[in-house]
Amino acid sequence: MTDKAYDPAMFESQLQRFPVSVVTEFRGAEEAARKHLGADDYQAWAAEGVSLAQHTFRSWEAATEYFKSTPRVVQALDFPEVMEWARWGRALSSDSPVISSSFFRATPEVIPYVRGSDLGRWAGVGQRLYKGTWKSSSLASTYFEASPRLLGALSLEELEDLVDFIDSLAQKSYDLANECLALASGVFPKIEPGDRVSFLSLGSVLVGGNWRDVKPYFENGPKIIERVEPRQRGRFLNLAQQLSQQGAGNTITFLVEASAALGEVHPDWHGPLLDMADRLAAHSAAAVGEFVKNAPVVMNRLRGERLEGWFNAGLRVLDENEDGGLAFFRLESGRAERAIEEMSSGLDLARVNEVLTMYCRALAGQRVELRPTDELQGKGIGWTSSDYATTEGDNIFLPGFVERYTTKDENFAWFKVIATHQVGHLEFGSFGFQFDKPSTVFAAEEQRAVLGKRDGDGGARIDLERFFDLFSDRKLASDIFMLVEDGRIDHRVKYEYAGIGESYRRVQRESLRSRPEPDSLPLREAAMEVLVRLSLEEEGTVKTPAEIAEHLDALAVMVRTMQNEERTVEDTAEATIRIYDLLSTVPNVEADPEGGEERSMDEMGQDADQGDLDQMMQDLMEGASGEGQPDGQEQEYKSPQMVDFRGEFKPELVQAFDNLKNERSKAQNPMEITGLSEEDLRQLLEKSAEIEVTEAQEGDLPQSSSQFVDNLINEAARQQQAKAKQGTQFQHSEDDDAPLAGEAETFLYDEWDFRAGDYKPRWCAVREKRMDEGTVDFFERTLRAHYGLVSRIKKQFESLAPEQLRRVKHLPDGEEYDFDLVVEAMIQARAGDTPTDKIYWRRNKVERDVAVSFLLDMSASTAEAVDETRRQFDSWDFPDDPRDYMTWLRTRREEMSRRTYKRIIDIEKESTVLLIKALEAIGDQYGIYGFSGYGRENVEFYVVKDIAETFGENVKRRLDKITPMHATRMGPAIRHAVSKLDDHEARTKVLFLLSDGRPQDRGYSREGVEKEYAVHDTRMALLEARRLGITPFCLTVDRAGHDYLKTMMGGDMGYEVVADIHTLPERLPQLYRRLTV
Amino acid sequence: MATTGREQTLYRHYIIEEYLLEEEPFYLPVNDEVEVFEAAYKTKIPVLLKGPTGCGKTRFVEYMSWRLGRPLVRGRKRGKAASKNGTGKGLPLVTIACHEDLTSSDLVGRYLLEGQETKWIDGPLSRAVKAGAICYLDEIVEARKDTTVLIHPLTDHRRLLPVEKRGEILEASDQFLLVMSYNPGYQSALKDLKHSTRQRFISLEFDYSPREIETQVIEHEAGVGPEVAVNLAKLGEKVRHLKDHGLHEGVSTRLLIYAGRLIAGGIPPRRACQAAVVWGLTDDSEVQRSIEEVVSSIFP
Repeated sequence: MTDKAYDPAMFESQLQRFPVSVVTEFRGAEEAARKHLGADDYQAWAAEGVSLAQHTFRSWEAATEYFKSTPRVVQALDFPEVMEWARWGRALSSDSPVISSSFFRATPEVIPYVRGSDLGRWAGVGQRLYKGTWKSSSLASTYFEASPRLLGALSLEELEDLVDFIDSLAQKSYDLANECLALASGVFPKIEPGDRVSFLSLGSVLVGGNWRDVKPYFENGPKIIERVEPRQRGRFLNLAQQLSQQGAGNTITFLVEASAALGEVHPDWHGPLLDMADRLAAHSAAAVGEFVKNAPVVMNRLRGERLEGWFNAGLRVLDENEDGGLAFFRLESGRAERAIEEMSSGLDLARVNEVLTMYCRALAGQRVELRPTDELQGKGIGWTSSDYATTEGDNIFLPGFVERYTTKDENFAWFKVIATHQVGHLEFGSFGFQFDKPSTVFAAEEQRAVLGKRDGDGGARIDLERFFDLFSDRKLASDIFMLVEDGRIDHRVKYEYAGIGESYRRVQRESLRSRPEPDSLPLREAAMEVLVRLSLEEEGTVKTPAEIAEHLDALAVMVRTMQNEERTVEDTAEATIRIYDLLSTVPNVEADPEGGEERSMDEMGQDADQGDLDQMMQDLMEGASGEGQPDGQEQEYKSPQMVDFRGEFKPELVQAFDNLKNERSKAQNPMEITGLSEEDLRQLLEKSAEIEVTEAQEGDLPQSSSQFVDNLINEAARQQQAKAKQGTQFQHSEDDDAPLAGEAETFLYDEWDFRAGDYKPRWCAVREKRMDEGTVDFFERTLRAHYGLVSRIKKQFESLAPEQLRRVKHLPDGEEYDFDLVVEAMIQARAGDTPTDKIYWRRNKVERDVAVSFLLDMSASTAEAVDETRRQFDSWDFPDDPRDYMTWLRTRREEMSRRTYKRIIDIEKESTVLLIKALEAIGDQYGIYGFSGYGRENVEFYVVKDIAETFGENVKRRLDKITPMHATRMGPAIRHAVSKLDDHEARTKVLFLLSDGRPQDRGYSREGVEKEYAVHDTRMALLEARRLGITPFCLTVDRAGHDYLKTMMGGDMGYEVVADIHTLPERLPQLYRRLTV
Repeated sequence: MATTGREQTLYRHYIIEEYLLEEEPFYLPVNDEVEVFEAAYKTKIPVLLKGPTGCGKTRFVEYMSWRLGRPLVRGRKRGKAASKNGTGKGLPLVTIACHEDLTSSDLVGRYLLEGQETKWIDGPLSRAVKAGAICYLDEIVEARKDTTVLIHPLTDHRRLLPVEKRGEILEASDQFLLVMSYNPGYQSALKDLKHSTRQRFISLEFDYSPREIETQVIEHEAGVGPEVAVNLAKLGEKVRHLKDHGLHEGVSTRLLIYAGRLIAGGIPPRRACQAAVVWGLTDDSEVQRSIEEVVSSIFP
């Protein structure tokens, strides 16, 4: 090698006319080149660089990168490959120096992934992206820049596929293609190689359709896919692709929702679910998304195996009627719910709530409410588990859903057992513990005195608190107390309710199955475990540690003593003291692994009786200090495993809570509260063993416990209030957080979907409010204005009343003879005829027994002027978007406030006033309601006068406040009025609907334009009324009314279109008379 | 006398005021109601019995009529006095079930056609007034208000019954006493007792007996063992907790006794309770189910 052969100076001089960076890079690379290349090769390499630089304007940039990359490239590649590489670069630079630069720059990073011979393929792919435009060059260079990372995850073949895809995307949008390419390097590493083809092919389909979705698809792709079970991912994507090709909704939405749904389901179920989805896709693409989305909801209530049955039911519905099928899979269909209900062996608390509530009330003899446990948990007052039944002293909380067994009956039996146990606590006085009340079997006084070191007035305000204060180990004492008390309740329940005994014993036996063996536990815990088993009345044999054999005998005697129907909670307390004394002498150390002995539970303690017990205990406790004690490492004591049917039992907390409720209700004002102070509560809660402080809370105990105290106090106050205004039977849902909760009660109603031929369950929320009160002016003014009419109507109505007693003649028996008939009979007899015996008369009472509900349409369209036909508001025109709607509403309101003309609603109101006068004259029961609303969640139902309410000044004032509001969703309003009417007893019941147009509301139709839906739902609501024996009648002032009223009322229900609205005040009473006679 | 004396009658029939109880009706006093009633009878104050259906109001009146018919000096020389009185069977008891169509002529009497002439027939009230019976108007609120005013002159110091149609006034016998019953449970605004009526009576409140007493009653009346009886009484107590929580009325002792009789007659307890109690109480299937659950908890 000579210097001549390596002649950098020559090349440098050729590079001089380019920016200095070229020469700099050349110098930097030259050395490495010299090291790896022969002289000739060196020459060729350098010459290539120079010619590259000279190739086109600005190709010097590419040359810079060429030189820069050289050291690492020459190291890795054979020289021919290097030259091949350089030539590709030059070719690219003739397209665009930018691309070429990227190419050279990326090469060193790419080399580890691509064989030298494949470099050309790699470059070629990039070149394909270049279409001669500036944007395509940018895309191509992105490609090269992203290549190292992409190739880290993708094979070259896959990369080619990706680029094909990007290429097709680029035809739609270069920006998007660019972004996706950049995203791709982050996306693909997260996707399994096997799924990449599917991923891309779905992408291509998207490009063909909603290409803008590609970016969210790339962004969310990995997240979506990883929720799906790995082997099912490809199928999942293929399914999405199929749906996308069939044009079924938004693919991204499907992907996100469906994968989220799958994520909630056990991975083993992904396959079967996708099988079903595939089958469904053949019937209706649109239903697939709904099905997959709702599958977890359904599977929560159905055992997986039964999902298919439900699915098949849906498929049949779908084949009959596509809308019905869609509603089915959307779970907006009564049929779907029924299908779930039929197939599920599980039981929703909601299903049996009413039955069990009454059952519990019957047993407890108090107004118990049954609620799901998570409600109590959510209150943050000390109950933390949502899986276990419990009570807070007044109400009973059960898990919301049970599926322990394979049949509904067994699940119900379980519900019944756990509810009965909780009721047992109430009925048999678990929470009524009084410290000073003597026990029925134990010698009480002395025992407490012995232990009463900490007693006195140690600040304990609650009996149980005072009791637990006796023990240094509150946790142990609390555990013992709960076990013994639970055992007492179990026994008492079985004694009092022989009928439930069988299921109760079954549940007890089952709960024994999953319990740990006592000999596997440290000694004290083993003793507790035996105590649990004794309290569950276990009958078989159990392996117990020999060290505590005699202790167990004493325990058994104690438990048997408590298994008597006459034992009280005070006995439980005494037993707790004794067991505590006994167990606190037992060290919590490992049992001798060899020392386990099989013992029959029945025989345990059989030789001793209660009289011996004290002696036994004495001996054991004395023995504890002496020799022969088991030794070993003392372990931290852990409470025994919970007995699940017994649920959570927190007597101390309940007593405290009870105290709060009672004291507060007694006090006239907050200053006089004599019960627990906040400080008392805090102390109690901090020491009580019943409150689990999680580790996170431990740090700021003062803060969390004060939160806790607040919650407790608020909850107590809330319950107190609720008790004060009891009697809201129909309260279907309760929303504590909503500010309106105080004034508006919410009721849920189904809605009829005539296309699906099925009800949408719990679809509309009717909010019932009392109408605000205005002035009585309107009422008085109307009466004055219609003076003549008022007296006429009144007279007409009064003439109805005296018909009440009608004399009926020609009766075989009655009050009195009718002399005419007697004479007639005599004549017949004299004439030799057989005289009639029907010669009596009797006063028959024709009681007028009418209850009527008037339902006034308060929709915005009733604001229309009566006389001004030109300025018609088209009520169909209000905007669908809630925000626009509010603006629209505001402008309308402003217009309204300036009005001087009479509106439809005014006439409606006037008619009502006149009718009230008439109704008061004949004494019919009547209710007046207004309705309006916006959307299905907000059907507003205003009570002007309830049926049972008496007419008075406030009703007059409320009438004043009837004003046009929003839309007309008639169905739910009718259903609500009907349910009110149905609660009243009357021979004749009439529902009078006063409206100004067809029913319509946001979403009260399928696509917002379909008027039929609303009409059919209204018709169904009216038919429901008829089925309940209520006569519906619709009066409308809409001149176009005839067309839809015919559908709505059918041929069988009455309606009238009042042609001239001014006649309404006169017409309404007339109609009323006709309807109710 | 109890029978008409003829031997071969296929059925026994009595003149209304001559029907007397032969045996002592079974009644367990819960409170001092017996003493109060006795005192009222002595001082001729009419009595109003309030209480839910089937809690023993009628039985109480029967018992009292039997008891009051015994010589008042009973206890001192029981056997002799009874034979001296001649009956030993209590006071006559005239029971009138009130209903909406009950008219004054139904109570006082009316003319009937007999052949060519009319004949006056006394109504049950007139007969009771004349004969000196206890007249028991059952479920008085069911009667129309214009009918109930008819009894007013009978209830105060006058103790008279005007018979308008005959232009007569009947003076009540010293033995006569008016007793009414009424069930405040299903009173509605329409069916309430007028104050002018109710303030003429002293009132005795009845309620279902406590469990122990009811147990004895059921045991005696149904002929069941104490265990069944106590369970039925327990059922009664539990179901009554549901009053106003789904039931308008608690279960009556009468129904519990019926259930007991069915059980005594060999019907399985749960079935007997279903027929006698559950279905008897309500038609609401949810409530039925709840009560059935209570039944199935109590009866194995």
